[in-house]
Amino acid sequence: MQGITGSEGQRAVAVMKEYGTNVVAGVTPGKGGQEVEDVPVYDTVKEATENHREINASVLYVPPFAAKEAAFEAVANGIRLVNCITEGVPIRDAAEMIAYSRKQGALFVGPSSIGIISPGKCRLGVVGGPKELADHVYKEGEIGVISKSGGMTNETSWVVRQAGLGQSTCAGIGGDMLIGATFADLLELFEKDKQTKGVVMFGELGGTYEDEVAHMIREGRFTKPVATFIAGRFAEKLPEGMSFGHAGAIIQGGKGTPEQKLKLLRSAGVITVDNHHDLGEAIREAI
Amino acid sequence: MKLYEFEGKDLVKKYDLPVHGSVVIRKKDDLENLDDKKTVVKAQLLTVGSRMKAGAVKVCETAEEARSEAENMLGKRFGAEAASVLIIEDKAEIKNEYYLGITYDTSTRAPVIMFSRAGGVDIEKSEEVKKLHLDATEGVQDWMIIEFLKEAGVKQDQLVKMTGVVKNAYRCFLSEDARLLEINPLAETPEGFVATDVIIELDDDAGFRHKDRKYAERTTRELTEREKAVKTANAADYKGTVKYIEFDGDIGFLAAGGGGSITCMDALVNCGGSPSNYTEYSGNPSSEKVRELTKQILSKPGLSGLWIIGAIANFTRVDTTMQGIVDALKEVKPDFPIVVRRSGPFEKEGLDLLRNAAAEHGLNMTVHGKEMPLTKTAETMVTEAEKYRNRGEGKRQYSLMKEPAY
Repeated sequence: MQGITGSEGQRAVAVMKEYGTNVVAGVTPGKGGQEVEDVPVYDTVKEATENHREINASVLYVPPFAAKEAAFEAVANGIRLVNCITEGVPIRDAAEMIAYSRKQGALFVGPSSIGIISPGKCRLGVVGGPKELADHVYKEGEIGVISKSGGMTNETSWVVRQAGLGQSTCAGIGGDMLIGATFADLLELFEKDKQTKGVVMFGELGGTYEDEVAHMIREGRFTKPVATFIAGRFAEKLPEGMSFGHAGAIIQGGKGTPEQKLKLLRSAGVITVDNHHDLGEAIREAI
Repeated sequence: MKLYEFEGKDLVKKYDLPVHGSVVIRKKDDLENLDDKKTVVKAQLLTVGSRMKAGAVKVCETAEEARSEAENMLGKRFGAEAASVLIIEDKAEIKNEYYLGITYDTSTRAPVIMFSRAGGVDIEKSEEVKKLHLDATEGVQDWMIIEFLKEAGVKQDQLVKMTGVVKNAYRCFLSEDARLLEINPLAETPEGFVATDVIIELDDDAGFRHKDRKYAERTTRELTEREKAVKTANAADYKGTVKYIEFDGDIGFLAAGGGGSITCMDALVNCGGSPSNYTEYSGNPSSEKVRELTKQILSKPGLSGLWIIGAIANFTRVDTTMQGIVDALKEVKPDFPIVVRRSGPFEKEGLDLLRNAAAEHGLNMTVHGKEMPLTKTAETMVTEAEKYRNRGEGKRQYSLMKEPAY
């Protein structure tokens, strides 16, 4: 964990460890030698990876001004999964983090991600909240969950659970205008994952990330059932350019409306629902 | 933050992009002592698409005429927005109009430069906009721009100069942390290329790199009294955020979280409900903040219901926020139906606060935790509100969601 000594980081370490995540090292420049929740702190990612060869992911709990450097440092030191929890990252920095990770072959999830949880195994970030609550909402199973909204990651996983199913992995990809791992990037991983039988996606107005899904399904790059809910149809009635909730949730130049996204996804065979609470049943029937 | 034209021009000037000579007019006194070249009057607006078509730009023959146009235009409404600032510019001899835009493309997740030989008002309809997709870490080199502009049809004698313009604009875009920089038209004049209109949208998240910036706060319409009150409450302490936008409907909407709130707005409208407002609270706001937000929602006359909703929170304490809501409900004691669905840490404690307040004050309240799906409670809310509307004196007619109040 980069940014482990901050207040958010400290809380997250405890929550992650409680759920069974093997957190082996933290990094905060200038704080090397300390410990947080029995996790040793290092000044650099290099030291952390040298002392803990098993490190295969880094979760970022750094302030917005430090996010870009932290991501570059992780990727430059060979870490191939970077989950950026930090919110309010400048778009210029996000673009650079995304480009660099992509070139180095690292999966960069975020910024503004609520985290990633593989129920029964481990979680990055605090997705699911206290363990008791997380165990109520999440159960190891066969449905993948991808959500632009942090708050709706729990709720979307919950409707899956209420339909009598469990989840394989649930990821909050963040609602910013530019994000690292997109729906399409994660669908590629879910396609390869034997545990996953189907995927539900929580989309939002704005951007083109939902559109890419339609293309990849048409090209046969994703073959499992997908069900989606796209929030923000009411905003089509409002003046253009108003932002709701997340920075990326904005309609510009007539593009990014939920109606357009839904039409495109439906034509590619994605199951779309009008009510969020129908997502669980929809995917249950489809698999 | 979107900048006014004159603010955008001040920024691009720093990067050696020429603009027309101009004066900023905020009051009638500013119209004294204008020189004879100042003949183009332009209202400074953030929401009007084509100012020319809307009559918010007037090209005059004389400075005298410009002064009288400016007097008329100052304070005039264009849509919901009033022209509180104008600029008057030197008229230039324009031979050609180009379009230059720079933004981030969500499909490449990187900056993109857009260019068209057919600049001007109808650029969005133009098929001719060419795109140069860039690499965010490698930046742009001259040859890339030259190659791009040549293919976009820029004539050889202008190629080098235009490349300079594009390069400066890109420098401005990056250095100022813009999300969008648009020069339209980019005018070809006998003196060279001039940025005739500039639209810049700055990235608020990059504020820490630009601490010297002092732009006045801006709204594209006048806020209602309730919107102002919530804004004040939000600024009162740094912890958590509360937002409020007023609509025309009759169901009070009190929602947690960005994604959750838009999901629930959809659900309400889907069921035929008509929200009286949009709200969102997030980031663990204090009870006081939530109390003020709730009070403002409840203060709107003609409500038929209040919908208190939120998805399953990770670490926002349900009891803390519900305490704020309960405090407001105890003060106002509404007689209309209240439907609640909220979940997360301290859910039972939070929902019990509501149940107890309902019992104590005889409130008409239905309370749900996570066992009830979030959006299902929209149906309950709409049905309950309908019953309330039809109480006693026969049926009153309410329309579906009308245009919002701006």
